[in-house]
Amino acid sequence: MNRSAKIVNSKVAGYSSLITFSVLLIAWIAGFSSRLFAVIRFESIIHEFDPWFNYRATAYMVEHGWHKFLNWFDERAWYPLGRIVGGTVYPGLMITSGSIHYLLHMLNIPVHIRDICVFLAPVFSGLTSISTYLLTKELWSPGAGLFAASFIAIVPGYISRSVAGSYDNEGIAIFALQFTYFLWVRSVKTGSVFWSAAAALSYFYMVSAWGGYVFIINLIPLHVFVLLLMGRYSPRLLTSYSTFYILGLLFSMQIPFVGFQPIRTSEHMAAMGVFVLLLAVATLRHLQSVLSKNEFKKLFLVGGLLAAVIVFIAVVILTVMGVVAPWSGRFYSLWDTGYAKIHIPIIASVSEHQPTTWFSFFFDLHILVCAFPVGLWYCIKQVNDERVFVVLYAISAVYFAGVMVRLMLTLTPVVCMLAGVAFSGLLDVFLQEDSSKRIQGSTNSTLDADDHEESLEKKSLYDKAGKLKHRTKHDATHEGGISSNLKSIVILAVLMILMMFAVHCTWVTSNAYSSPSIVLAFHNSQDGSRNILDDFREAYYWLSQNTADDARIMSWWDYGYQIAGMANRTTLVDNNTWNNSHIALVGKAMSSTEEKSYEIMTSLDVDYVLVIFGGVIGYSGDDINKFLWMVRIAEGEHPKDIKESDFFTDRGEFRVDAEGAPALLNCLMYKLSYYRFGELKLDYRGPSGYDRTRNAVIGNKDFDLTYLEEAYTTEHWLVRIYRVKKPFEFNRPSLKAKERIVPPSNFISRKNLKRRKGFIRNRPIVVKGKRTLK
Amino acid sequence: MLETLYNLPFHILVPPNIRVRRFSIPLPSAMAVFSVVLLSYFLVTGGIIYDVIVEPPSVGATVDEHGHSKPVAFLPYRVNAQYIIEGLASSFLFTMGGLGFIIMDTIHSPGKTHLNRMLLTSMGFIFILVSFFSTWLFMRMKLPSYLQP
Repeated sequence: MNRSAKIVNSKVAGYSSLITFSVLLIAWIAGFSSRLFAVIRFESIIHEFDPWFNYRATAYMVEHGWHKFLNWFDERAWYPLGRIVGGTVYPGLMITSGSIHYLLHMLNIPVHIRDICVFLAPVFSGLTSISTYLLTKELWSPGAGLFAASFIAIVPGYISRSVAGSYDNEGIAIFALQFTYFLWVRSVKTGSVFWSAAAALSYFYMVSAWGGYVFIINLIPLHVFVLLLMGRYSPRLLTSYSTFYILGLLFSMQIPFVGFQPIRTSEHMAAMGVFVLLLAVATLRHLQSVLSKNEFKKLFLVGGLLAAVIVFIAVVILTVMGVVAPWSGRFYSLWDTGYAKIHIPIIASVSEHQPTTWFSFFFDLHILVCAFPVGLWYCIKQVNDERVFVVLYAISAVYFAGVMVRLMLTLTPVVCMLAGVAFSGLLDVFLQEDSSKRIQGSTNSTLDADDHEESLEKKSLYDKAGKLKHRTKHDATHEGGISSNLKSIVILAVLMILMMFAVHCTWVTSNAYSSPSIVLAFHNSQDGSRNILDDFREAYYWLSQNTADDARIMSWWDYGYQIAGMANRTTLVDNNTWNNSHIALVGKAMSSTEEKSYEIMTSLDVDYVLVIFGGVIGYSGDDINKFLWMVRIAEGEHPKDIKESDFFTDRGEFRVDAEGAPALLNCLMYKLSYYRFGELKLDYRGPSGYDRTRNAVIGNKDFDLTYLEEAYTTEHWLVRIYRVKKPFEFNRPSLKAKERIVPPSNFISRKNLKRRKGFIRNRPIVVKGKRTLK
Repeated sequence: MLETLYNLPFHILVPPNIRVRRFSIPLPSAMAVFSVVLLSYFLVTGGIIYDVIVEPPSVGATVDEHGHSKPVAFLPYRVNAQYIIEGLASSFLFTMGGLGFIIMDTIHSPGKTHLNRMLLTSMGFIFILVSFFSTWLFMRMKLPSYLQP
């Protein structure tokens, strides 16, 4: 009897592990392939802005070695300041792809580093789904874990940051985040030093990969704190948190960019406070078990008072001495949501830092947005140590996602986990019955539509075989069960919804998140063909071929990384927005008149100015649309010279046509964007100088540039490059001899033959604007 | 020595005979926690933070072909912007879908008649379907090319 049960058990275990393996494999493959839209449509290319820097740094590291990379001083960025790259970068991404490159080359597989960078994020998405499976399994059940793994493999909220070519920190950091949380939950459960040390190691990887590690180092202490409040203290908690905190602290300080921040900045103070609190609670617990009640009371009073006084004094002294730095602006804007809008325009100017609308929630999560509270409900109803963790994770992530669109990324994993819990709970109810086997057989054979859901469903069947508790409950309530017809209808409908989810995900991935944004594509509505605009690369290639190697190029900071990465030229500002005043200087140059900005440009040694202009093709992300941010940032640093109100009309409108504000119509950015645009007739019938992006005829059509000259304009006018003239060039406008007006002179020389001073024979006569006569 | 210092006030005062209980916070019930969480979830998914920061109008208005202005609840084509009312409507639907799932789960609990279970199931079912399809409609209003190649 015992033996046969064992055989059945091992058989079930075999099947269930086979199913687990195959579901995870399918999730990996599906996730990988749905991220390849961009590669298939365009080519294997790095996307957007930040990935270009990451790629450039990785290429540098692969070429010059790790130590050179750590000490790399990049003189081609932030001219004339330069940037210490090794000390201001999270190196985890470069190390990951660098070591993959190294491994492959050791095996004599010659892969270009670019291809590794392009495909890194899709590959890591599979690892993310595996770690999500592990975490959900710890929290709930393996069935829920498989659901969660399949959700996260294709959910748009995560795909948006991990399509092929988007070589950015987030791509690997979400894996590290989920894996750290898994190890943490495991270590709280077991209380073993091994697991918490592993959690600290994984935390180390996370710190090296992404600035979002602050989320971990605040969430885990919060978990500990809430557990203490709920009276759920245990020695396991003490072991795991103290191990994790100490090791994590030491590890995180090894990253040069992080350095001493973990013991000096306010973002990390919560973790330290909770650590001290946990130790105090543990000490008290211990003393309580040793001392008698009376002694303990006295000790508690005296010790408590003393500790409070010491902590208070220490905090005051440290703050006064300035050892503990206050919250940085980026974090502060998470709490006081209006802060960035008023004080830090450079943070508010980035579109992904905008607050989230309902649309993004549905767009990125689809049906999961409904299933998420259900999973939360399950977790709150049957609470234990690790479910407290996921509840806290969920609540904080929802709040952060509401504040910034960008943080939808941290919300997505927990939504997937809780939705997995919800769906597995639902199937628990509707599949588990005496006749459940029959129903399942039928659904399995009829619904081959989606591999994932089907195998997941099978999975949840086996998962439940072990759960005796549920079964007995069901047996007791069986007499009033609902009919199997109704059940199968419900199951069918749920599967349909899941199928719609998969369709939605694929559609969103293909249409919204797979654009490389350095190659633009648009559909021609008449003949349905796809047009490709490659203006950006055209301009960058022109720069790399036609300018001097040390030429300085001024552009708005969005394009800094791309210019450095593709054209390999020196830039003034780039996407690593560390120096606000330098950016403000460029903003000031762009928004002043030509004369004034020429002074700034000569003081910064600018050789070329690059502007993005979308008026010809109707591209809305161009510099004129970003222009108000330049003005705001400049105003923040130079309030006397630049005023935002000057750039609006009397009625407070921002317009480029004839009614626009004079300051706008004469500033450098306007002139550079619209130079010679007034002559251009886009439409046969329309007026000349018609801007398609802003749907207006431009106000200032006829002007010339004095201090700059047009150097290059791409095919669709998307990128325009101007050369800054040297001082000697514009001082003497070159006029032809015929056009030159010589003032008539009736000067008659008084020199006659007698009164004549000496002169030099054959002395060269200098004529302005002409070569010297020989 | 410390003892005498402690006893100093008690030469004048008579300490009352009270029992000090151990410090503990009463834990709120699971349902209360969940209601608070669900309410805040409703607000956040409705973009309340966006409404606070950007301060959009509650309902927009357009001008039709006769020159009359008529109210519009949805701000079409703009993915990162919304009117207050559309955010609340759609987050209401999200929450309704979630409640539908929860109702579906409660048929699991004992002590219910057959009819009761039947009604609960169909109610939860309708909740989910209604929320799903009307959100889908909202998406079509917001993004007319939704789910079209």
